[in-house]
Amino acid sequence: MPSTVPSGALPAPQRLPQLRTMLRIRRFEEALIDLAQAHDVGHFHVYIGQEATGVPALALLEDGDVAYSTHRNHGHLLARGVDPNAMLAEILGRATGTNGGKGGTLHLASPAHGFPTTSASVGGPLPIAVGSAFAFRELGRDRVSVALFGDGALEEGAWHEAANIAALRQLPVVFLCENNSVGAVTQQAGDYPSSTLAVGTLADLARPFGIPAAVIDGSDSDAVHAAMSDALVRARSGDGPSFIEARTVRWPGNQGIWAELVTGRVQVHYGWDAATIPDPHRAWFAEHDPVVRAVREALAAGAGRDAIAAIDADATREMAAAVAFALASPWPDADEAFANLYADPRVNALATGRRAAK
Amino acid sequence: MTATEIRMVDAIREAMRAELAADPSVVLLGEDVSVGGPFGATKGLQDEFGAARIRDTPISEAAVMGLAVGAAAAGLRPIVEIMFMDFATLALDQLVNHAAKLRYMSGGQLSIPLTVRMQAGASGAFGAHHSQSLEAWLAHVPGLKVVAASTPADAYGLLRAAIRDPDPVVVIEHRALYWGRGPVETGEAAIVPLASAVVRRPGIDATIVSWSRMTVTALAAADLLAAEGIQAEVIDLRGLQPMDTATVLASVRRTGRAVVAHEAVGFGGLGAEVAARIGEDAFDALRAPVERVAAPFTPVPAAPDLERAFVPDAAAIAAAVRRTLARPDPRRRSLEEGR
Amino acid sequence: MLDAETPGALPRDPAGALALLERMQLLRAFEEKVAELYASGQVAGLVHLAIGQEATAVGVCGLLRPGDTVYGGHRSHGHALATGADPERLLAEIAGRVSGYARGKGGSMHLVAADTGFVTATGVVAGNISLALGGAFAAQLRGTGGVAVAFFGDGAGQSGQFHESLNLAALWRLPVLFVCENNGYAEFSPLSAHTGVERLATHAATYGIPAVTVDGNDLGAVREAAAVAIQRARRGEGPSFVECLTYRLRGHYEGDPAKYRDRAELAAWRAKDPIERLAGRLADAGLVDAEAAADANRRARAIIAAAADAVLASGPAPAGDLTTDVTA
Repeated sequence: MPSTVPSGALPAPQRLPQLRTMLRIRRFEEALIDLAQAHDVGHFHVYIGQEATGVPALALLEDGDVAYSTHRNHGHLLARGVDPNAMLAEILGRATGTNGGKGGTLHLASPAHGFPTTSASVGGPLPIAVGSAFAFRELGRDRVSVALFGDGALEEGAWHEAANIAALRQLPVVFLCENNSVGAVTQQAGDYPSSTLAVGTLADLARPFGIPAAVIDGSDSDAVHAAMSDALVRARSGDGPSFIEARTVRWPGNQGIWAELVTGRVQVHYGWDAATIPDPHRAWFAEHDPVVRAVREALAAGAGRDAIAAIDADATREMAAAVAFALASPWPDADEAFANLYADPRVNALATGRRAAK
Repeated sequence: MTATEIRMVDAIREAMRAELAADPSVVLLGEDVSVGGPFGATKGLQDEFGAARIRDTPISEAAVMGLAVGAAAAGLRPIVEIMFMDFATLALDQLVNHAAKLRYMSGGQLSIPLTVRMQAGASGAFGAHHSQSLEAWLAHVPGLKVVAASTPADAYGLLRAAIRDPDPVVVIEHRALYWGRGPVETGEAAIVPLASAVVRRPGIDATIVSWSRMTVTALAAADLLAAEGIQAEVIDLRGLQPMDTATVLASVRRTGRAVVAHEAVGFGGLGAEVAARIGEDAFDALRAPVERVAAPFTPVPAAPDLERAFVPDAAAIAAAVRRTLARPDPRRRSLEEGR
Repeated sequence: MLDAETPGALPRDPAGALALLERMQLLRAFEEKVAELYASGQVAGLVHLAIGQEATAVGVCGLLRPGDTVYGGHRSHGHALATGADPERLLAEIAGRVSGYARGKGGSMHLVAADTGFVTATGVVAGNISLALGGAFAAQLRGTGGVAVAFFGDGAGQSGQFHESLNLAALWRLPVLFVCENNGYAEFSPLSAHTGVERLATHAATYGIPAVTVDGNDLGAVREAAAVAIQRARRGEGPSFVECLTYRLRGHYEGDPAKYRDRAELAAWRAKDPIERLAGRLADAGLVDAEAAADANRRARAIIAAAADAVLASGPAPAGDLTTDVTA
């Protein structure tokens, strides 16, 4: 444990709130995996293992900034304060969901929290995020647009086109790549770290455009905080886009097509009593789990074990209540399927042949 | 060879296996095909045929499709797997502007023997980016061929025909049918010509035309109707471009009534094409207007309930058939009026 | 520079040197004829000429062998000719005549001369790059030693397909040569309006693809760079990228007044005319004197004149062809 925190690191009093957000995300995703055993959730992706990237990065955004996320979006929305009740309800397709049940897990959105839309098309958010940055600049708003994406998005041509325009116009956008493929050995090929990108590091893809790029440990919340702070300063000063590659070791439960709680639930006491970590996944919890690391960091910053256990208990209770809320929520009215295709209800009715509900 | 009961997803794999074994110029390209992709359709093929021919690709639909077109022009027979038909949007330049047109633009100098497998359809609450049925877009492009199977046997037979075809063929596979079992014969005799509609269930009162998953739904509708004494004939179109309209017209000339059912949205859908063909070529036989049953004109919603409301069901198809039967027979009416 | 030991070096024998000069003269004569026929209404449509860029086409294609394949774009008359395609059938195709390579169905932007390995051109910027990957993939799988060449302009470098294709070629070590003809303008605006990246070869380095930027109006420089790249591909060492700095002396398409360029710039590039430069260099080396060069030019013009006469005597594309060749 370093005795001095790096510059730009989080002040000690903010450690506990940061841990709280990370725990809320973790308990949400664990609850979802359980819920999917018994209910028709459809295919979904969880953010477990990447909490130390999204939480500190998004905490730095201000009102009016926007972020565009991916199929793995739950953690991002929770980090910016979206109501877990509405998120779980959306994932279950209920009327009380963030999108009224029409979006589902892949498309969670909450414009009020700076998530205009979530695209499940890999690479899809990149040009859209650049477009919002362009609008902010044209409208003279001091706002930043963040593109959140995985390593796979860089294989799409959309990345190249978006990066070129962002750099050419020096737009206020941050490309935050969450590379969760580190250690996924099946991904390696030839001389490359990935079977699908012929580059030394993902950040190399940003450099030809002159976009400043940082490669950081995505499970190190201080590194994320520092890199994101730099990127936001650059964007807000009119100095154009930045690229951050935040590397995380993939959670063992994310190795298959469906997320599975193969590690069991995380216990906060892993942070102060590593001996209690069960064997099969000891290495992941001890070395890579950002939540366990955040527990250790909170302790080092002076938080007590009881306080940590208390916020964990709160988070667990909150997510249990969210599950109950979602399950008790009504299904959307069938007419809702016909609403909001076009702005004008008359046009909407003409096109769908149905009058919208209400 | 006797037929064995296998799942459609396995029939698809067997078809690829047979063509890969028969012709060294057949190659398979797609995201994660080495491990079988999300549905296991390609599982084991890399072990059998090697990493040179069974290739994992980056998530670069445009370049992968272009590469496949170029490889086809150079004499290979590539199969491209598009994991979700929704992502064909990213490869449309290569599919529409190049694959479809190179034979024509070259005056016959080039041949593009390309097969593009696209998994499609609304099921499992996958939401608006993983559920669309876009066959009408593709069938609208001169130079492309489009097929869709409703049974494991057809999935096998059509795919083998597609791989052997000298032109680009889009093979649409419905996710909801992947795990359904059916008898599948293997071997040359099981190959299904691309433009060959088939009567799945004979009937005399009305004709239901459908394809892909809607054929299964149409057969269920025919069961419902049979309980009421209505004998509906169910035609599985199989080939969407080119389309075997002769089989459809022959049926409608016998029944005098037609319902077209598809999962894609109705506006501009292929149901309109089928209805227009019937109107043009079998108008005299019609005793009622052709009915269309299709998804409402909306994106595919995620909520399971809304998704169920989106996909036409057997009751909707049966109701459309009843509407055609409830119409007064125009020929009889004109006879009566003339009396 | 005239060193036979250097791969791709200009030939030391007069006949070999003259053949290259004459091929460039043929391209120039062909394109000028197209301009003339367009002006007189004998050629319709959207016609993009590469007058001034002859050294890239001849420089690269002159090194290819049977079994290699070439993929062009909208400005590719010269690329097709440089592979040895029949000027009369090409001109007929551009003029929409029955005697064209595709009996008039392809036209200027979609030339195909399968007999000489010119697989296709495309009207979609960057659309041909991945097609070339396919040719390279087929050659790799079959172990033919064949090489695929994609010619594209600087405007293609900003396309997603460019990124996807370079990545895929590097990943699979495909025997492909990316030839970027950087003529400084993408359609009607300078490259600087399209990207902050000054040299497109920079992108290639990202994927570890060997890349070089050369004077695209210097036939020798283009040949030497291409020869190294082609050797590398044939040895199974994967793709290469050659960026050729050049200039189109005409507008984006015939009829484009090109007011976005200033006279001084045009004059400077006229002074760097690749054909005159080669002729001067061959004369200096004592290989081809002015008279022989002029004779060659007359021969090239005679070939094109005869081709044009034949094309104009040829019938239009027959209506009966309208619905043929849609499918096999």
